[in-house]
Amino acid sequence: MQWIIQFIVHHRNLSSLFLTVMLSLWMLSGSDARQAKIARTLTMTVFFPFQFTVAQVARARNIFAENRRLREELTSLRTSASFLEEQAAENERLRDLLGFRESLDYTLLPARVVAREPSQLYRSLVLNVGKNQGVDLYMPVVSKDGIVGRVVQVMRHISLVQVLQDPSARTSVMTKRTRSVGILETENGRDFFIRHRTHVDVQQGDTIITSGLGGIYPKGLVVGAVTTVREGVDPLFKKTLLEPSVDFDHLEELFVMQISPQWTVLRGELDSVEMEK
Amino acid sequence: MIGTALKWIAAFVLCLVLQTTLMPVVAVGGIAPDLIVVVLFFLAIRAGVMPGLYAGFLIGLGQDLYSPSLLGQSALAKTITGFFIGLFNEKVMRTDPVMKLILLVLSFMVHDTVFTVVTVIKTDASFPLVFSELFTRTLPRALYSVLIAAIVYAYDYFVKPGLNR
Repeated sequence: MQWIIQFIVHHRNLSSLFLTVMLSLWMLSGSDARQAKIARTLTMTVFFPFQFTVAQVARARNIFAENRRLREELTSLRTSASFLEEQAAENERLRDLLGFRESLDYTLLPARVVAREPSQLYRSLVLNVGKNQGVDLYMPVVSKDGIVGRVVQVMRHISLVQVLQDPSARTSVMTKRTRSVGILETENGRDFFIRHRTHVDVQQGDTIITSGLGGIYPKGLVVGAVTTVREGVDPLFKKTLLEPSVDFDHLEELFVMQISPQWTVLRGELDSVEMEK
Repeated sequence: MIGTALKWIAAFVLCLVLQTTLMPVVAVGGIAPDLIVVVLFFLAIRAGVMPGLYAGFLIGLGQDLYSPSLLGQSALAKTITGFFIGLFNEKVMRTDPVMKLILLVLSFMVHDTVFTVVTVIKTDASFPLVFSELFTRTLPRALYSVLIAAIVYAYDYFVKPGLNR
């Protein structure tokens, strides 16, 4: 026993490296979701007041530029508002004619980004709205340009959002023109792609929207546009590369779609399965 | 001793907060300096292998808590980086500031290689991603961060002696 202690003391640098590396690998391999959740809750509670203060200072710095941009946007929006009102009226008339029911049964909750994940992969961000404002788990988060991600953790006043850039995120999408479904993936958080079967008709410039099949995002939200279709690498699949419509490097004002996932009814069972794991 | 430890803890907390809030604002083409690796670098150089290693582990773990997946990824990357910086500084050189800035770039390479390898393994991504990340993301990020480290060195070498006089 004593020689083991002597060995550890003598090689304390390597022993420490071994210990910490093993701990890291243990955390990486056995993902205890509940333990991580508690730890994350603690960290976010400790860091949030600091982050909020610094974020306000950073915002104040850009306030003049933002004011000018908003004035320009206001002018542009006023111009298009009357046009859209006319279109909405026409849309309403057509809906009545077709017998469709108004399907927007959710509201958009405005939210501000107060923190981003401090690593080279921006896999998550923190919003300044939480349970008290009506945010719930798995609610989709969108910007004016398209989908951004989904809520993965909710506290009283803040919530954590997993953005599409997270390589572990998978989103069911479809090509707007041909309605062919695929899974949106990324390996590095920048290059997004979909694996389509070789016979599927997809072309450069096609708009990609959410399919509504994943149960989280409603159908029809804009994801991006096809930039390249790579064929011939795999006999069964072709790789469709796309440019997301959202600029993930400049996210400030977002909206939480207050809509429950389609599988909410199964959540109890899913939670119990996770607990058993 | 305790005072020094508290100063480093304060530096890490401040950097973590700035990294999550201000750094995305100063990013150029999606590339932002990594203050946390820079502070880890200074700690490992000044305090040695063991403090560098354990500080790397703890701050990496703190970073992982922000991530919705892969708990332990940053902890592993920063542990190895802290160990690498401390050991390299101890065995190879101690004084030359230019060499130290080169060591900082190497530290980014070590950190991002470990980080990306874990991403590749956990997400079944393709392995060439590790190399493409090193050249398209790590190197620019390291050079951007070197600017910040150079400011600290400039203060240490030119401003501080003047103040002490």
